[in-house]
Amino acid sequence: MTPPETAAEPRPTRLQAQNVHVSFGGIRALTGIDLTIRRGEVLGLIGPNGAGKTTLVNVLTGFQAPTEGRVMLEDQTLTGMKARDVARAGVARSFQAARLFRDLTVQENLVVAALGAGLPRRAAEARAHEILDWIGCAPIAHLTCDGLSYGDERRISIARALAMGPSFALLDEPASGMNETECAALMQVISELPAQFDCGVLLIEHNMTVIMGVCQRIHVLDGGRSLAEGTPDEVQANPAVRRAYLGEKADQVALTI
Amino acid sequence: MRNFLQVMVDAIALGSLLALVALAIGLVFGVMRLINFAQGDYITIGAYALVVPAASLTPTLLIGALPIPLMVAGVLLVVVMLALATERVAFRPLRDSDPATLLISSFAVSYFLQHMIMLVHTGRPKSIGIGQALTTPIEVLGLRVPGIQVVTMGVTAVLLIALVLFLKRTPMGIQMRAAAENFQMARLLGVPANRVIAMAFVISGLLGGTVSLLLIVQTGTLDIRMGLMPVIFAFFATVIGGMGSLVGAALGGFLVGVSSVLLQSYLPEGLRPFRDAFVFGLVIVILLVRPKGLIVIGAARERV
Amino acid sequence: MHAGKGIAILERVWPVLVLVVPLMAVVVLADLYGSVMFQRTVTDALIKIVLVVGLYIFIGNSGIVSFGHIGFAGIAAYFATWMTCCAMMKPITMTGLPDFLRLETYSLWSTALVSVAIAGVAALVIGLVLMRLSGLAASISTLAALFIFHAVYANWDSVTMGRASIVGVPTYVTVWVALGGAVLAIAVAWLYQISSYGLATRAARDDEVAAQASGISLYWNRLIAFVLSGMVVGLGGVLMVHFQGTISVNAFYLNLTFITLAMLVVGGMRSLAGAVVGVVVLTSVADVFRRLEAGVDLGAMRLSTPVGTQEMFLAALMLLILVFRKDGLMGRRELRLPRFPGTGQGREAP
Repeated sequence: MTPPETAAEPRPTRLQAQNVHVSFGGIRALTGIDLTIRRGEVLGLIGPNGAGKTTLVNVLTGFQAPTEGRVMLEDQTLTGMKARDVARAGVARSFQAARLFRDLTVQENLVVAALGAGLPRRAAEARAHEILDWIGCAPIAHLTCDGLSYGDERRISIARALAMGPSFALLDEPASGMNETECAALMQVISELPAQFDCGVLLIEHNMTVIMGVCQRIHVLDGGRSLAEGTPDEVQANPAVRRAYLGEKADQVALTI
Repeated sequence: MRNFLQVMVDAIALGSLLALVALAIGLVFGVMRLINFAQGDYITIGAYALVVPAASLTPTLLIGALPIPLMVAGVLLVVVMLALATERVAFRPLRDSDPATLLISSFAVSYFLQHMIMLVHTGRPKSIGIGQALTTPIEVLGLRVPGIQVVTMGVTAVLLIALVLFLKRTPMGIQMRAAAENFQMARLLGVPANRVIAMAFVISGLLGGTVSLLLIVQTGTLDIRMGLMPVIFAFFATVIGGMGSLVGAALGGFLVGVSSVLLQSYLPEGLRPFRDAFVFGLVIVILLVRPKGLIVIGAARERV
Repeated sequence: MHAGKGIAILERVWPVLVLVVPLMAVVVLADLYGSVMFQRTVTDALIKIVLVVGLYIFIGNSGIVSFGHIGFAGIAAYFATWMTCCAMMKPITMTGLPDFLRLETYSLWSTALVSVAIAGVAALVIGLVLMRLSGLAASISTLAALFIFHAVYANWDSVTMGRASIVGVPTYVTVWVALGGAVLAIAVAWLYQISSYGLATRAARDDEVAAQASGISLYWNRLIAFVLSGMVVGLGGVLMVHFQGTISVNAFYLNLTFITLAMLVVGGMRSLAGAVVGVVVLTSVADVFRRLEAGVDLGAMRLSTPVGTQEMFLAALMLLILVFRKDGLMGRRELRLPRFPGTGQGREAP
């Protein structure tokens, strides 16, 4: 895969949340979060429901202004920028719901993102085609998105984020609702992303098999605070993490696998 | 000073009338996200119900010939039935559509009703004399005020109080407010959607019929488009006040009425003909500064 | 490879051809065999196509219903009137006009170009403000814009003669000229729709949030759609005034707004083919009613429907479509060439 042609400037090596606080009315959604995503790695972001994972992604992508703290892309301050400009700066994301452009074709969905990243039309079409090929969706490139299967929808939403040629791709629960085979294929795709696209990945996921399988490091949120960060092994062994999970959600025992 | 007071009386009288229409629009919008442009045609049809359908320019009175209490009841009944009929036939099947589609549908209903009146009564304006005694000015604190303005203000005040009592005290009113806050939630909590919406249309019919009568006494003219200007101004009044907020609707009605009269009186001579353009411009300015209107209700940003 | 390329090109222009060729056929027939009345009906329908396709460029691609575009038709039509109308009367009846309009008369071509440009400028000025809004607020403010247009032009007596009609505008719009306008409008709409700007605008229509996350500017893309759409609608206004020969401010108000919107709704707001189909269907229906209102001989009896039934039927039809077929007759589809295996955009990628 050709890395995006931003040859002039070197690609940023890290995306950072620095002391990020968010409160809605009186409710504190995030408290003092520090988090660094490095280019070339997959960082997992886990935590019980309501821990603030999506809020953090919203802050990182400019959809939510932090009450305090800032977001840095290398030396560039992203805080205060519009979501659209953050995306153009090289931070792409997918959504919990696929949020595809439903009346456009699969190909067009990716072309829009590539155009949004500033590519001319021809190059955008080429990149879209290339990514669809890579992710195995070329056969459905010309279908409109309103009739896609669930698994295809999720794959296309990742592909669309990648079509921006991002330095960092933030994926919000890409595996939700997928069956085991689809999960396995997805893990393959995600673990290849950093090398293929020369980017860093932040992965929010409830499926621990996926998280433990593809992440080099894992960041744990609970109640809007950072609980722990480390390698999968370290996080699994962390007593506070186990308490947060086992205490609140018995069905997450899967963490111990 | 006296001149200013006179202007203010005019302003408040017009504001009252618009507040009544705005309340009707706001109430219906609250329960089903429908901006009901046909409200103007409710008003028109209420007025036309007073006379016998005929081509004559000074038609024989129909409901208008009844004793006053019966006449008032008759007009209100006609408009309420009409409002309910449009709800049942046109708006109910579209209930889950997006607001823009609903707005288009209300244009269609309005267009339908307008041409129905044209078909029945012909399109020419007609004159009608009802309640002319009310148009003679009376002296209030040294101001000469047409009686109809006093009546308009009085009726508005009474209806506003009645509506507030209804919304605060009766079970139906409380359900209606709940539905206006959050319709889906209210439905889940067992608020009967059909009845609440029908009730909103009944009230909009009552308000519409009242406005028919007030307008007819004021102007003495029947015109196919007589409901159009009030509904346009009232519609923008609800936008200014904050769609879905009833206080906002009433407030917006007064605001539009007052600013329109003030502009008429105090704009430089050359610009006066363009008064309405300024009022509509104000709407756009307010939408830009506060897209949800002056009084924001249930402001929920879309979750990402 | 060449054959493949040929098919790819055909595939691209097909949705335009499939609309334009039948229109041409109708015009040829009307020109050869049609009565004057029929020719007028066809001309009127073709002008409506310009207006409705113009509306579609903004409404269909952005998903925002605009109630204000007929104002741009009015602005262009009045400008065309000022440039071409009644050289003798103008200095007396429209004293407020600047000298270059009051004392001069211009050629029809330059008039059309300038008037459409003026509509574009008006759309740009209004769009710069309104495109900051989304959804219902945007729709409402376009309606406010229409009322502003009407309030200004209906009262600006010194240049518009108020609510009175201005007569004596040169009439050069034949059925062929109107066809030219319709073809131009359809081609522009299609080229825009498949352009990068059109694609981005349609993406924002489907999901604003995801569009922003894809680096798309809602504001600028919608503004482009708004201006282009205003210009095409403006062209419709110019054709209208040069077809009818008279102009009055009420011709560009709620009735025309409603009719054109009804055509778009019935045909399908989300499809260029829908815009054209809607005009054709509603014009045909209106024509049937016009004949009925004039009276139909049934043996010894002569039946006629009362005036107004046509409009009531139109409104009822529109409601039925909204209820039972929300995306209109065409759904959200264009009339595309059936896809051959192995053709399509995928192949174009190097």
